[in-house]
Amino acid sequence: MKRPGPWRSLATRWADTGLAAKGLVVVAMPLVILLTGVAALHLSSQAEVEAEEAVRRTFAIQRDIHEVHALLAEAASGVRGYRLTGRDEFLAPYRKAEALLPATLDRIKGAVRDEEVRDRLARVDRLVIKKRQGLAQLAAMPGAGSPDGVAARDIAEALVANKAVLDGLRAEIDAMQRREAQLLDARRARADAERRRFLAVTAAMALVGLLGSLAAVQLLFSGIVRRVRSLERDAERLERGLPLSTADEARDEIGRLARRLVEASTLLRTREQALREGEERYRRVIEGVRDYGIFALDPEGRVTSWNEGAQRIKGWTAEDILGQHFSVFYPRELRSGTPKHLLQIAKRDGRVEDEGWRVRQDGSQFWANVVITAVRDEDGALRGFSKVTRDITDRRRAEDALKAARAEAERASLAKSEFLSRMSHELRTPLTAILGFGQLLDMDRETLAADQRHAVDQISRAGRHLLGMIDEVLDIARIEAGGQALTILPVELEAVVREAVALTEPQAQSVGITLRTGPLATGEVLADRRAALQILLNLLSNAVKYNRPGGVTEVSMVAAEDRLRVDVRDEGPGIAADVAHRLFTPFDRLGADRWSGMEGSGLGLALSRGLALAMNGDVLHRPNLDGPGSIFTLILPLSGPEADPAHQADARSQ
Amino acid sequence: MKMLPDDPLLHDACILAVDDEPANLSLVEKAFQREGFRAVRTFLDANAALDAFAAEPPDLVLLDLMMPGIDGYELLESFRRLTSPDDYLPILVLTADANVASRLRALALGAKDVLLKPYDVGELLMRSWVLLDTRRTFQRRGPA
Repeated sequence: MKRPGPWRSLATRWADTGLAAKGLVVVAMPLVILLTGVAALHLSSQAEVEAEEAVRRTFAIQRDIHEVHALLAEAASGVRGYRLTGRDEFLAPYRKAEALLPATLDRIKGAVRDEEVRDRLARVDRLVIKKRQGLAQLAAMPGAGSPDGVAARDIAEALVANKAVLDGLRAEIDAMQRREAQLLDARRARADAERRRFLAVTAAMALVGLLGSLAAVQLLFSGIVRRVRSLERDAERLERGLPLSTADEARDEIGRLARRLVEASTLLRTREQALREGEERYRRVIEGVRDYGIFALDPEGRVTSWNEGAQRIKGWTAEDILGQHFSVFYPRELRSGTPKHLLQIAKRDGRVEDEGWRVRQDGSQFWANVVITAVRDEDGALRGFSKVTRDITDRRRAEDALKAARAEAERASLAKSEFLSRMSHELRTPLTAILGFGQLLDMDRETLAADQRHAVDQISRAGRHLLGMIDEVLDIARIEAGGQALTILPVELEAVVREAVALTEPQAQSVGITLRTGPLATGEVLADRRAALQILLNLLSNAVKYNRPGGVTEVSMVAAEDRLRVDVRDEGPGIAADVAHRLFTPFDRLGADRWSGMEGSGLGLALSRGLALAMNGDVLHRPNLDGPGSIFTLILPLSGPEADPAHQADARSQ
Repeated sequence: MKMLPDDPLLHDACILAVDDEPANLSLVEKAFQREGFRAVRTFLDANAALDAFAAEPPDLVLLDLMMPGIDGYELLESFRRLTSPDDYLPILVLTADANVASRLRALALGAKDVLLKPYDVGELLMRSWVLLDTRRTFQRRGPA
């Protein structure tokens, strides 16, 4: 490739030339060569024509010289005849010669090129003039036809002189003829040479034209075709991911394309590198995962990769397991069917998850969670499977324990519920007879004596009181046993409050207590409507029962953050701070015996609070700071988008 | 002072009561006799009750649920087997079990009504009368 400087720079310039210009050069080169050839042929043929013209001229000169000689000879012979006969008609050749000779001589003069012939012609000219003068003299002499002595001598002298002239003339003409013949030979030879040269030039031009075309093709090949082929080879190497062999530095289109190709290959290599690094990183991450067995299977189910987690969980090392079918992980009785079945599902659905016992290399078993995912290429062809295995034996054991515990709890709950049914039955059954017979007696009370009537009333009253207590005890027991089925739904609490007020109104009226409804906030709470009503009835009933005579009981409701608060205020004596904490204790009536004639089990508040707690609410007590009496408050959670469904679940399971 | 209207047809109705508590049976017997019912048969033993039922189908059954041996639920099933599907034979369950589930189960097994013990005697009488009246209406019109 090392070339001398100028050639190198020319080659560079040629390489840098655009393809269109290159094409122009390649097409133009043979044309130029052809034109040059045509020009050379033209010149060569010109020379040949000239040579042939010279030959033709020589022939013409020879013919004219011959004619001069012939004219003179005929003229001389005519004049002689005239002299002898005196008849005028013999002078016709002389006159013809006189008419034609000057023109013929002029023609010869104009055609002659050769110096020697020209000298001779000058001499011939002079001799011809002399001869003509001689002939004119002869023709003009008197006495033609009459042999006159003087005249005959003169004529003889003239004839002799003429003859001498004619002889000289003949000699000159002969010399001229010879000379011209000599020239003709030379000229013919030259014309032949010219013709041969013309042929040679033609042949040479054909050869040069051929060579020029070959050179153009070579130029085209070296400048374009060779580089395009090299480009094609590079493209092939690019396709196979090999480094590119050449770097075309020329600035024409091919060079630019080549450089783009090199850039593309560099970019490709960079990306491949990044991809490889990413894959390597990914592979290292996967290999390093210890808690998950992550490995790959080929489409037939043979293991093709293995990570540390898989080794830790299953025991096999990569060398041991690679190439083996993954059914070795399954217990012997499952090996023939299950693995194949799982792969089929993964193939069909893209993914399959399974849990079950799997086998370690040492034969021990573990409970595994397995996810098999079909791996497909861009065209959707199955390339294999990825498999993620977790050892969840511990979780499985915990689940088993949990399941057992749950079953146990369910059994216990069932036993509790059965116990409650029995208890309800056992407590209520004797009351049936007590209250029933009491009622029967009461139906015929007009037949009874006054003290008997009183006794029947006492039995019925005590029986009903006992029944109320039994109901409340059973309610509390049911709530504690989780047997109270609360239906937690969004409830418009304001309506429930108004219903409770309306239901308590008769009781309040009968004891002269004013029942007042203050401002009520609106809003839905998450609660069991029946339970909420039961609580409110209990609170209102207490506020009426334990009020001062002629006192006021007031209900109001406010919203506070995510809850609704119902306050029930009474004007009773209030509850001493030191015993307030016993308010919600079952059967603790806080000295309600002071309120003679007041029925009450001491269970109502305990029951109300239990219900409220079961609904994620509460029942609280606080002294009325603005006056005498107490304030009992029911709090329930507002429903709404922020309401947590988990609370509802809690409420049911409590 | 009687609770129910004076209706001779009703007073001829045959009532069958089953309970394992003698006092309760006695209460039922007294309450119905007081209203003029003449045919009130009471049974402490479920098997005896079943025999009596098979021998002479009553017009109304008053049934306790919780009993030793054959309980009320089993009796409900037996009564249903013994009763033609075209017949309307009301069974009023009287139970001291306050569990809703027990009441629902009884109704599902064919009981027509349930009263929780201790019950109001007047209510027992009124409900019984309503059931008997329905049976009478049914018998007059004939099976659908």
